Amino acid sequence: MNGKDRSKRFVELVGSATFEEAFQRKVRQRRWGVALVTVGISVVGLWLMFDIVGARGWTPLAVAETGLFGLLFTSLSFGFTQAFLGYLVLAEGQERLKITNTLDEDTTLASTAVVMPVFNENAETVFGNICALYNSLRERGELDLYDFYILSDSTDPAKAVEEELAWSDICRQTSGFGKIHYRRRKLPVNRKSGNVADFCRRWGHRHRYMVVLDADSVMTGAAVSSLVRLMETNPRAGIIQTMPRLVKAETVFGRIQQFASRLYSPIFAAGLNFWQQGAGNYWGHNAIIRVSPFLASCGLPALPGREPLGGRVLSHDFVEAALMRNAGSEVWFAYDLDGSYEGLPPNLTEYVKRDRRWCQGNLQHMWFFLAQNIRPISRIHLVQGILAYSSAPLLVLFLLLGAFQAGIDHLREKIGTFPAASAAVLFLMTLTLLFGPKVLSLLHLFSRPKELAAFGGPVRVLLGVILETLFSIFTAPVLIWFHTRFVLRNIAGKTVTWHTQTRDGRAGPRWLDIIAEYWPLPVVGAGLGAVAWWIAPSYLAWVSPILLGLLLAIPIAQFSGRVDSFRQLFLTPEELQPPGELCARFKLQLRDGDQFVHALLDPFYNAVHVSLQRRRETSAPCVDGYIVSLADRLFKEGPESLTPQQKRALLGDGETLGRLHNLIWKTPSGLMNPAWARALAQYRSSRRGVRPQPEAIEAMLASERPAAA
Amino acid sequence: MAISPEYIALLRVGIRSSPEWKEAWDRINDYLDALKTPESIDRELILLSSFERAIARKRQEPFTPATELAFDEVQKNLDHSLRHLIDQGVPDDCRLIEERVRLYLTENVDGNILGRTAELSEEVLHALRDVKLQAAPNLQVASITARPLELSSAGKGFVSLAAKLSPIGANRILGWVIGLAILGLLVFASLYR
Repeated sequence: MNGKDRSKRFVELVGSATFEEAFQRKVRQRRWGVALVTVGISVVGLWLMFDIVGARGWTPLAVAETGLFGLLFTSLSFGFTQAFLGYLVLAEGQERLKITNTLDEDTTLASTAVVMPVFNENAETVFGNICALYNSLRERGELDLYDFYILSDSTDPAKAVEEELAWSDICRQTSGFGKIHYRRRKLPVNRKSGNVADFCRRWGHRHRYMVVLDADSVMTGAAVSSLVRLMETNPRAGIIQTMPRLVKAETVFGRIQQFASRLYSPIFAAGLNFWQQGAGNYWGHNAIIRVSPFLASCGLPALPGREPLGGRVLSHDFVEAALMRNAGSEVWFAYDLDGSYEGLPPNLTEYVKRDRRWCQGNLQHMWFFLAQNIRPISRIHLVQGILAYSSAPLLVLFLLLGAFQAGIDHLREKIGTFPAASAAVLFLMTLTLLFGPKVLSLLHLFSRPKELAAFGGPVRVLLGVILETLFSIFTAPVLIWFHTRFVLRNIAGKTVTWHTQTRDGRAGPRWLDIIAEYWPLPVVGAGLGAVAWWIAPSYLAWVSPILLGLLLAIPIAQFSGRVDSFRQLFLTPEELQPPGELCARFKLQLRDGDQFVHALLDPFYNAVHVSLQRRRETSAPCVDGYIVSLADRLFKEGPESLTPQQKRALLGDGETLGRLHNLIWKTPSGLMNPAWARALAQYRSSRRGVRPQPEAIEAMLASERPAAA
Repeated sequence: MAISPEYIALLRVGIRSSPEWKEAWDRINDYLDALKTPESIDRELILLSSFERAIARKRQEPFTPATELAFDEVQKNLDHSLRHLIDQGVPDDCRLIEERVRLYLTENVDGNILGRTAELSEEVLHALRDVKLQAAPNLQVASITARPLELSSAGKGFVSLAAKLSPIGANRILGWVIGLAILGLLVFASLYR
């Protein structure tokens, strides 16, 4: 039986009772296997820890320290087990239980919406990514069944105008009117999850599936069509998540993350699929969703209490996967489906800022972990998400307790009384759990010469891994610092505000911005270093990786945003040989400058914007009066006189904007605010000086006459 | 087309000699530039005929600024040139907007198609008349309703515990004092065990 026949046979088997029974048995075996290996490793680690602590004597501090160690070590061993099993799966080369086995190119497609929720994003990126997928599907001749929706929650008036013009421009360039849609909510209720829910309410019945993309997501037409075919073949699948590869990074930080993710994630992904199977997770983008069960089961409840831990659900993806599973649908992970990509934050500061939001969202998942009727595997996903951030304060507490215990031992002059053999084995074990997946990933890559060459060859890969490991060692304490801060603030009922805006250049973020945010880290690092030295120089050596990370936080954060360093290292296949969809450069024909001003003055911007506004059916005197007063102030005092909120209100009234357009253009400069006169001059063509003179005009007229006659 | 060079020259001299009309001339040219109107005979004709009528109106409306008069006349001229691209049912107050939308949709590297609409095929003209700029399709309403969160018994216990502890967490100083006290107690108990 060849590959295609085997695939067809597999497709026939899906849904049969015999197959289902065998499948469930196999999945149960796998899950038990993962649990046993994880617990086995953890028990060995704990036993060694007991030996070490027991030799020093049990104290309340030691008990607490060991308890925390057990939790953190189990989490670490679970990750390692997953990576190890993933390595075995990939080494074997044939995974029988993966959803992509059921892919059949002959399967017919079905109506699918490609949705991209956006919030004050760069319009060229958003519409460029949509355009790449649109063209890719058109080249495949499969465009008919797809509709594209850019779902904007943008609150910045200039961004809102830019998006409208970008939409009309992309439609004009691709003849996409009626296929590419744009909708902006005036009130971004419930943020991204509310945005997608609003789409479902408005157009949920138009499509069988929706492919959800982030603003920086790129997918190939082949990948999207494969997802639709997989959905058609697997009617119980509610969500199929792809494994997006990180791309388009330019900075040192971005390229290191991109390289690390590309190299290490395949074994983790294969391992994840190995045990979760149809009980997978959803990451919020680069995934396909069956709309009808989503409508029926994925309405997000309000959480008890107020934000940050209560109120609206911020991070909806894990929850939607859990709710989908509750409703009886499966959530699959198409980890080996090519053609799914996403961008990433350019530097450490932006990465941390993103973590600030994700941390709050993941901590909210505690409510769903404690809810009724959530399936056990979904609870594991939720706990993993919570631990991704809350493990940082636990680790800090673990280190603090260890430091206190070491201090007490120092006072009692008990240093050196612990069993060295157990300590050495535990140390090696921890190193294996931490760095083993990297080694396994290297082994996997070196067994595939073609793939190795696509990474730039063995020397570059090895150098890249060494430097990436050093970089991750130095950045880990910075992340632990911030994650601890975020978690503690959220638990205390507060959110973390970011004081500075990081301005990037090729030389990285500005030093002053970095110092303003990172100065406490080296101060704390120096203080802890002094305490560690007092305890014992050997203790200082033991904790030096953490202290070095804290001490060097400022230069590392600045360096992370540089563009011109290490260009020959950290190469990925997508960087060296990017697929067509990533090379596509979409150039929007938009004007530079304040887009809100263009919405008033540019005749095309104004016409497009005004014609897209719905006319108010009824007139409300108070609203009309407010809009008129805003328009009056805007005209008299210039564009800077209105707040963003007032500008948004004005943008919502097409008629007034049309009137303002005419008013400004026809008012002499001396009778209006000078800002408008300056703004109008922007529209002067650079060719103005070469306009034909009267004699030339008459000559032209004369030459036209015979033809006209 | 009976416009003599002398007349054009006179008109231009007249426009340039008066600051008010010069500003109007520049403003209208800026507007046509913003509309991406190419340098062509049609542009000049629109300009000249608009100013001719505006100057005539100025005699009757001496207090109306020249810029306003010229802009009104240009709008009328544009409307006259583009009216055939719009469906007759479009109300007057929307027509100018719709005409600009048509110019935007048909704009190419040479600029807008003002004066070149005769080159458009009947099929394109028909399509342009049917255009209605609509960013999103018509609604096909569905409902997505959230079910309330039902906590397990452990969850309820946790919530009640959290409710009791929340005053501590909400008070920064109290939180630190209690956290440090627990830590201190652990250290103390370990030190004097």
